[in-house]
Amino acid sequence: MRLLYLHLPRFPLQRRAIETPSVAGKAVAFIEEVKGQRKVAFASAAAQAAGIRPGMTLAAATALVPSLRHFPYQPRAEGEALLALGECLLCVVPQFQVSVPDGLWLDASAAALCQGEEGLCKRVLEICASQGFRAAAALASQAFTARALARHGSKPVQIIASCESAGALCSLPLAALGESAPSTVAALGSLGLTTLGEVASLPVGAVAARMGAAGLYVHRLCRGEDDTAFVATALPEVLEEGIDLDWPAESLEPLLFALKTLLDRLCARLSGRRKAAVRLTLTIKLDPTGEAKVGLVLARPCARPKLLLDLTRHRIADLSLPHPIARLQIRVDESCDEPGNQLALGDHPEGDSSLEVVLSRLSTALGEQSLFAAEVKPSHRPENAYVPQPFRPPARDGGLVAGTRGRLAPTPPELDPALAERPARIFPRPASLEVDLDPQGELVCARFLGKRRKATAIAGPERLCGEWWGEDAYHRDYYRVHFEGFGPTWIYRDTRDGQFYLQGMFD
Amino acid sequence: MEAAQASDRGQIERLRQQIRKLQAAPRSYLATLRTGIHLLDELLPANGLQLGQAFELWGEAASGRSSLAFRALAAATREHRLGAFVDGPGELYPPAAAAMGIDLARLLIVRPKAPGKLVWTAVQLARSGAFACVVLDLTHTGVRLTIADGKKLSDAAFQGGSCLLLLTPPDAPGEGMTRLRVSARGLEGLRVEVMRSRQGAVGSWVLIPWPELPPGEAPVYRYVERPESNEPRGDDAPSERVRRIKMSWQRDGHGIARSRPGRDVALPELGSSLGL
Repeated sequence: MRLLYLHLPRFPLQRRAIETPSVAGKAVAFIEEVKGQRKVAFASAAAQAAGIRPGMTLAAATALVPSLRHFPYQPRAEGEALLALGECLLCVVPQFQVSVPDGLWLDASAAALCQGEEGLCKRVLEICASQGFRAAAALASQAFTARALARHGSKPVQIIASCESAGALCSLPLAALGESAPSTVAALGSLGLTTLGEVASLPVGAVAARMGAAGLYVHRLCRGEDDTAFVATALPEVLEEGIDLDWPAESLEPLLFALKTLLDRLCARLSGRRKAAVRLTLTIKLDPTGEAKVGLVLARPCARPKLLLDLTRHRIADLSLPHPIARLQIRVDESCDEPGNQLALGDHPEGDSSLEVVLSRLSTALGEQSLFAAEVKPSHRPENAYVPQPFRPPARDGGLVAGTRGRLAPTPPELDPALAERPARIFPRPASLEVDLDPQGELVCARFLGKRRKATAIAGPERLCGEWWGEDAYHRDYYRVHFEGFGPTWIYRDTRDGQFYLQGMFD
Repeated sequence: MEAAQASDRGQIERLRQQIRKLQAAPRSYLATLRTGIHLLDELLPANGLQLGQAFELWGEAASGRSSLAFRALAAATREHRLGAFVDGPGELYPPAAAAMGIDLARLLIVRPKAPGKLVWTAVQLARSGAFACVVLDLTHTGVRLTIADGKKLSDAAFQGGSCLLLLTPPDAPGEGMTRLRVSARGLEGLRVEVMRSRQGAVGSWVLIPWPELPPGEAPVYRYVERPESNEPRGDDAPSERVRRIKMSWQRDGHGIARSRPGRDVALPELGSSLGL
């Protein structure tokens, strides 16, 4: 199995610089607690230039650089961030394994789809760069070889054939063995060995006799023999991203900056999973206490950060909160498969985004149920003759054929001719009419809209009845009636109770 | 190898010709929605409802305003463009809209629950530019447009290049846009009069017969023809009898012989059919 190791040098620092651009280029350190002591876990280049090294106590580091900014190192959060980055890369690799604290193993079996292994490495680095991360990649058949070369190699991209592992590793320093066997590595160093190649050249029997199983294991690694299994990391069911603001935000601008970072990450993860968001929840945590939740319902599934940012900005622009904002968290509550969209020649990549924006905005502001398209149903009961459907208009003619007259339009389905005799507006609940009838039982006048109006013309009846087998049976005689000083109306006599009802108007 | 290259070149040349043909194909650019009702189209200054403008159809609920709006929406969907109907009172009957020629798949119906959101919704739809025709129905909603609302709607229609149609009741006319007064004239039809327009034709009117409202062949109704009385409206005294000359036709979904065996008509006895 071919494995690609992606090394993200000082990953926690890179992540912090993306989230808080003000720390970029400054002396920054991540601090972890080891045996009751606060020690430097990661130090930025500026901090290292000032003499701060990982493992140094915070007191010593602060003594060296008084303006040192330090943050607590949270391995779990960094692991989640690596996992999120791995999800973004799922658009080019089928699976990945997190390598805490600063790397990822990627399954390179689909490299042929990216123009070969080198193409895959470049594509992976491009995606990382789009997320703001600097990285190096090495591709080999053994996990150790890929990892050691990515971390200690001199080139950003290295491809090692399966039989060339030993040769590629020979020039690497002993530090490349890393945490594989620290005591053995220390022992090898004390013997005056400096590179992996020197270790590999030692006789196997001598290494085994002097250093035991651990020495044998290290010797095998140096010879490019590693049978460590690749265990793909399981994806979390809930897609969630969060960001802590550098300072509690009181205006929209820093909030939008943080939101953009957040949505870029979230959409990259969605794209990696080939998903699109349908419903999201934005949780705004306030400083010092309190939180507000903003729901975001999309009329069309979407995984585009620009569109989501636009919609979110619209939603939070009018929000009034009692305290400044300290943290933003966004969660995908509902998602669906995103099959992708093949553009035609001459199409604009943004497509009909104006439609999506307005639909999402209305859907968010008015509620999902308020927007719909109607579909006619074959039912004699007038109020059941249509059902609301989600508004999914047919795609517009794209590319060069847009607007041409020679389009092939599908034939519309034939409608029931009786629909031509239906009124343009019907009332949700028919209004009972107070009517005068002649001795033959025919309508003479009716009282509605506050006036008694004489019927000047009547056409009908059209008898509609059905569902007699159920409790909701109906039996109606419909008339098209012109009342004095009024347009045509649609009234019916319910034969079950003998009452007249006004159901609609031919507006 | 050379043969394959020649074949590729031929294929590329054929594709180029196809692209040239498509680029040179006649295009249809929609600038005016023609309702298809000749009398109305001729009445309007631009021979139709111009995109980028707002029009007000002002009249009673049963005056034929919705049918005119349907014809405009049908003209938009016929051109593969989208239409939207902001249904304030929730009274729109989509099957009737389909019968008027609207492609329901291209018609977005919006029913905001709060009347205060109606104008905002129409502004959003018109301004987006995604809809060629947007109808805002304010009948029975109690919403009265302010001058600022009218300006917002007109500006939105202009920005988005949409045709915005307002259906307003007599007691709540809109402001700042072309106003067409629509009123029913008994069995004759509906009268459309230009009440306000910056492009002229103010005061001109047409009488559109009812059968001309739907596209194609209109259903035939046979009415009692009886002149309206001179009695004042609201008179509670019963009027003279209306005689029905002929009923149009009947649709009977009532079963065989308009009866429900076992309920309206007794079932035949089993014994007699068996000869007992």
